[in-house]
Amino acid sequence: MKRREFLAASAAFAATSQPVPKGKAEACIYIWLGGGAAHTDTFDPKVKGDGKKKPGSYYEPIGTAIRGEKVCEHLSKTAPLLDRAVIVRSISHGISAEHAAAANLVHTGRLPSGTLQYPSIGSIVAHEKGARTEEVPAYVVMGYPNIMRDPGFLGAKYGYVYLTQTETGPTGLIRPPDVDLNREDRRETLLGKMRDGYVKRNPADEAVGQQDAVTRQAFKLAGPKFLNVFDLQREAQALRQSYGGEFGQRCLLARRLVQSGVRFVEVSHNLNFLNGSGWDTHNEGQLNQHLLIQELDSALSTLIIDLEKNKLLDTTLIVVATEFGRPPEFDSGGGRGHQSLAYSMVLAGGGLKTGQVIGRTGEIGKEVVERKISLPDFHATIHCALGIDPHKNLFAGDRPVPITDRGEPIREVFA
Amino acid sequence: MRLAALMAAAAFAAQPEDLRSGAVQVEIFENLPKGSEFNPAGDPAMRYTEPVFAFTNIPVKYSNEALALDRSVPYVLRAAYERVLPHGQLQFRLRARGAAVLMMDGAEIARTAAQKPNTSSDDPVPPPVARDETGRRPAPYPHQDTVAEVAGDGRTHKFQLVAVIGGKGLMPTPGELSVSFGPVKQVERLLGPDGSPLLEDGAWEELLARSERRHREADRVRRLDASKETVARWRERHNEVRAYWKGRPVAVPALTPGYPANNEIDRFLAPKMNEAKVRTQPLTSDLDFLRRVSIDATGLIPTAAEVREFQKQPAASRRAATIERLLSHPGWADNWVSYWQDVLAENPGILKPDLNNTGPFRFWIHQAFQDGVPFDRFVTELIQMEGSAHQGAPAGFAQATLNDAPMAAKADIIGQAFLGQKLGCARCHDAPFHPFKQKDLFSLAAMLGGKDIKLPATSTVPVVEGMRKPAVNITLKPGEMIAPDWPFAELIQHNETGALPTDGKVESRRQLASLIVSARNERFARVVVNRIWKRYMGLGIVEPVEDWSRSKASHPELLHWLAREFVISGYDIKHVSRLIFRSHAYQRQAVAKLTEAQTTAASRHFAGPLRRRLTAEQLVDSLHLSAGKEFECEELNLNPAGDREPRQFLNMGKPVRAWQMTALSNERDRPALALPIAQSIVDVLTTYGWRQSRQSPSTTRDDGASPMQTLILANGVLGTRMIRLSDDSAFTELALKDLPLTQLIAETFLRVLSRPPAPEELKSMKELLEPFHKDRKVAGADSAYVARKTDSRVSWSNHLSAEATRIRMEEERNLRMGDQPTKRLQSGFRERYEDMLWAMVNSPEFVMMP
Repeated sequence: MKRREFLAASAAFAATSQPVPKGKAEACIYIWLGGGAAHTDTFDPKVKGDGKKKPGSYYEPIGTAIRGEKVCEHLSKTAPLLDRAVIVRSISHGISAEHAAAANLVHTGRLPSGTLQYPSIGSIVAHEKGARTEEVPAYVVMGYPNIMRDPGFLGAKYGYVYLTQTETGPTGLIRPPDVDLNREDRRETLLGKMRDGYVKRNPADEAVGQQDAVTRQAFKLAGPKFLNVFDLQREAQALRQSYGGEFGQRCLLARRLVQSGVRFVEVSHNLNFLNGSGWDTHNEGQLNQHLLIQELDSALSTLIIDLEKNKLLDTTLIVVATEFGRPPEFDSGGGRGHQSLAYSMVLAGGGLKTGQVIGRTGEIGKEVVERKISLPDFHATIHCALGIDPHKNLFAGDRPVPITDRGEPIREVFA
Repeated sequence: MRLAALMAAAAFAAQPEDLRSGAVQVEIFENLPKGSEFNPAGDPAMRYTEPVFAFTNIPVKYSNEALALDRSVPYVLRAAYERVLPHGQLQFRLRARGAAVLMMDGAEIARTAAQKPNTSSDDPVPPPVARDETGRRPAPYPHQDTVAEVAGDGRTHKFQLVAVIGGKGLMPTPGELSVSFGPVKQVERLLGPDGSPLLEDGAWEELLARSERRHREADRVRRLDASKETVARWRERHNEVRAYWKGRPVAVPALTPGYPANNEIDRFLAPKMNEAKVRTQPLTSDLDFLRRVSIDATGLIPTAAEVREFQKQPAASRRAATIERLLSHPGWADNWVSYWQDVLAENPGILKPDLNNTGPFRFWIHQAFQDGVPFDRFVTELIQMEGSAHQGAPAGFAQATLNDAPMAAKADIIGQAFLGQKLGCARCHDAPFHPFKQKDLFSLAAMLGGKDIKLPATSTVPVVEGMRKPAVNITLKPGEMIAPDWPFAELIQHNETGALPTDGKVESRRQLASLIVSARNERFARVVVNRIWKRYMGLGIVEPVEDWSRSKASHPELLHWLAREFVISGYDIKHVSRLIFRSHAYQRQAVAKLTEAQTTAASRHFAGPLRRRLTAEQLVDSLHLSAGKEFECEELNLNPAGDREPRQFLNMGKPVRAWQMTALSNERDRPALALPIAQSIVDVLTTYGWRQSRQSPSTTRDDGASPMQTLILANGVLGTRMIRLSDDSAFTELALKDLPLTQLIAETFLRVLSRPPAPEELKSMKELLEPFHKDRKVAGADSAYVARKTDSRVSWSNHLSAEATRIRMEEERNLRMGDQPTKRLQSGFRERYEDMLWAMVNSPEFVMMP
């Protein structure tokens, strides 16, 4: 047995004998509510509090397409579509002091160990499934580049292309504004000459050959086929309006990216100027939180319907994730602190058995009382939905590293 | 001037006028009793002078091992000066971020209030300060200006400033602390001799740059002085160590016919090649050699002037002379910092660091290589982990935020870096393919911790009832206590070491250091020279360089000889580098990259160095050098207001070389926390294998080629800026010179690719530019360079406001437009010349080592 195989076999000891569900999703749109969305003010409503002393939700609850289950009143467009979704109300991890640490945990499924840097869920999916075609990247981020989204030990190849605003397009792929097609042509002709000369002077050099090959491939990636994906003007005005503001446009772009063959799109939703604090609703951030929830509502509901119309909902897993929830109590400024031992995340589409709620929290949403779901479990569920074996090993060099930290998929969501 | 600024990250040439003792006497007081800050009594901690009343830099305090130390919180600056005041009504302007008092002849004339720590993040952004008609530099947020009117009488007066710097919850920096004066309603001059700089932007920025240079140089002189005795003690140790290694000689093989040899290295390599009938690669061309050795020694391609200088030297001696020149280049230190940042997992965070972050000990690494600290002392100081954690001393190495076994992580780093022992797998179980037990790692960790260490529950593999038994052995139980112990008795025994010349505070750390750097621990010297060898030759004599447990040396005698040279030279990395640079082996044409399977010790010959790519840092620095543009970047600091403490918000300064970049830590996805220029540089660095987060040690970077590498240079902001013919581009100046077109093209090739154009290249470039060359200049147009400005009003305390978001997003948009093109060149010519540069920079030739 080869060293690598032996190590793989020995590390996989935790696998159970039960067969692993294999989902049929082909792509994932990962909506990131940065700052920590209050579960009791969104997907896990409880009795109303008073915004001061009395803990509880901040809004009225409304019924949903899942019988007997409610969400907050500002999710009125999404509520009737929740038969296409699974609300997981029992996420629990315990890191709540700092945003970056919790956000990193939710993205990688692990705490830093100091011996390895773990890859993000996006990089893992890019690594496991690649892009559907050569002309597009596997992994796109709409948000700021940072460590939690990084490929870690998988290497830069499994990193992402990113953009911070839909209007500007992806960094590095869009030609600078002063370079028209003519000029681009002239440049590539000159580059061709420089390159040919260099390769000729260094024949049979693998590294030179590789660098030359990627240069050729690169301009294909930056070609019109992929860049047209970013042209939202091509969509009907009514649809664009239905998606809503910048966050909605990002979701629309996410659908277009998935259509073009991208496997994993992370869409960050933290335009903090809407309410002053984004989802991190300490103090006064609470007052206008409903604007944020309504924005999420328009975008998420339109995305579900739009994917469905394009016959993509069954093969596209939507994940609504956030680093932690918030306690039902209010702080001295009328906002909320952080709570990570009980909060909600949402899965939708992706061919899952939708229209159900997983897990329960207690009376006011402070603790999990049923079916605690850890981050490794949540990751294992995403992997399964995308047809990735949640017990397999990744390799850091020749060291096997289980793809999740002993996570088990939520079996109820697989038909 | 711009170029010089780039070249010298820290070792700025001292300018004589800057080193004159200034007229203003300054004292620093520490640990003053609360309440007595404005009447400092007793001896000051330090005395120095400044030319004028501007105190933007405070001298670094050093230990006698030259480690930066923190000053007390707060500390006090007192400055005194006498001068004649001219007749007429005058105004004095005291500018400070914190509490300060200005006295004239013993009487207070102006005062500013103490700065308060701020826990807010949604303060309003203050309105922009309107520049008044005088053109005075406005006080940056949140500085205070206090103005006092004084009647000038033609007599001499005594001035004294007392300022409290830092404090609980504040940054320990002075900001733009200054006193200036002049006739009322005019822009003031800084208090000092006649003709001192005006308090306006241009003069202030110049003063700032001069002050920075002067202080860096003064810091260097002071720390060398403070550590004189330390230096002497280590020198003494080297004499003792030499005796041991002199008794361990190795026979240098005779010359092998047909195998050229520049020095011993080649004589060691030849017999094995001869036996295997492997031919050496031919010697590189002179110009290829120059480019390669410049990048390897300094991280920078040669300048056009350096190429010409090189060509003027006698052919027989130019290579050796170049090696000597480069070994004393300031870039030597810069180029080594990146390497040790990777190997030692330096991982600072600028925003509430909690992802296995360390302090910024990069600054100490740089200082050590700049000062020529012998490597045994370097390792000892690293292991002792003392000095200031936030200012970049080795205390920062001790940190590992949110890691429940920080010393286990450090033990793994040290094992890999200096002993070739990879212990990482032993974090949670006995390593299956290494001879290490979990206990080995934790007993080493306990030596670093200075006490027994408890195995955390997370550092184990659970054995679950009813499931298959793990194939990895688990010999320790969570919660078990492990005592400090040296786990590598096969390398050296406890009783074999002598004491080190150090005053380290922790006994077991001193012990650990003495075990590692002991002359008898031959593994240490071998591991270090093998690292140097791999860095320049592309492959180690032992592979992998960080994990020796499974492999043999390809050339054991050479390895021993290099190790011996290293120790006898006094643990001098420069000496070993010189030996390698001089060897024929290094100077040969590169061999194509080998596949992994071919790199067994038996098949490794070093017929030439392996083909390598420039590292990310070398690429970014060389691009700047080539374009002659300054390293433009925001200060790496998300708390410019200074109203939070360094533990939460490090100020990593304004970078001038790529190694100074850091993770931008915008996990919060907030536009107001973005640093757009820094991001555009980080984009290129990460695409080329630099890690923004170094949570774990690494020696070999991911050097795979990817399409994004091409695209980020071809279309990205930094790449676009570097080829843009703006008024700060050296290429713009070159194009404006009265040069024949052929010469312009040749000079451009020299600047970018360190070689003349090939005939067919010259032909295509001439065809491109000829029709536009004659009329390229725009008559009457002037240079209009304006440095990009970052709005300093945005800070953590107000970053949640809509205005802060708007400001940064606008800066991001402006940056995307690139540098303003020059108006001095016709756009038809300018664009084509830029296209030529684009093609040269984006050719694989630019990013590959010759």
